[in-house]
Amino acid sequence: MSGDSYVLHGFAVPEGVEALHDLLEQVGSEHPEVDSSDLMLFETAVIEIANNVVEHGRPLGKVQWRFSLDVLPGQLEAVLSDSGEAYPGDIDYVMPDELAESGRGLPLARAILDEIDYTRAGDANHWHLVRRRAASS
Amino acid sequence: MQIEQSERDGVVVLSTSGRFNMMSAPRVKTRIDETVAAGSARIVVDLSEVDFIDSSGLGALIGGLKTARQAGGDLRIAAAGEQVVTVLKLTNLDRILTPFDTVEDAIHEW
Repeated sequence: MSGDSYVLHGFAVPEGVEALHDLLEQVGSEHPEVDSSDLMLFETAVIEIANNVVEHGRPLGKVQWRFSLDVLPGQLEAVLSDSGEAYPGDIDYVMPDELAESGRGLPLARAILDEIDYTRAGDANHWHLVRRRAASS
Repeated sequence: MQIEQSERDGVVVLSTSGRFNMMSAPRVKTRIDETVAAGSARIVVDLSEVDFIDSSGLGALIGGLKTARQAGGDLRIAAAGEQVVTVLKLTNLDRILTPFDTVEDAIHEW
């Protein structure tokens, strides 16, 4: 059984994050067989990574991205590639103190995903995100 | 996101809806700050109509919690859906932002 692919192009701006939400909602409506909790958590992780690109991508407001998502029998797999400067941070952040008001995005994504990789290649940043499906067929 | 405000038994209830994310979080935080500045430091955020929260939304709630506590009050959340409850657990925030089942529970158990 082969998977189904979705692709979205746009700018890494807050409105672009809304477009990602809409795409993931579309995936849910077109793939009712995907466990709703899996998709909900995957959406949460994708949005956190996208937020990170929006907040840290430079030049601000001019970064373009391409999001691709594959609904595969065993997993949900996405790649978010952006044209911004190299991501300056560390992806191994731990969950911050309870009263911190920021810094939870990447730790939250890491808690949800089975695989998360960042690479810099071809003048672009690539985030590879995988969550294995609970009831794979 | 819409933010509706009401008052019950001396507690201000802020009802939000839609996606509580980087677009809407600053507005919610501003509304909480304004509410506390106006003299109401006991706040319940009704999340029954929120279908998604991200770390920006969590940051706004934590910021609001701190603002309310500094003014001698508190901030509680109520009627959180599955995604919100899961995200609170994964970030360990359910310990300081314990979700009440309903707005009424949050108010009555004050």
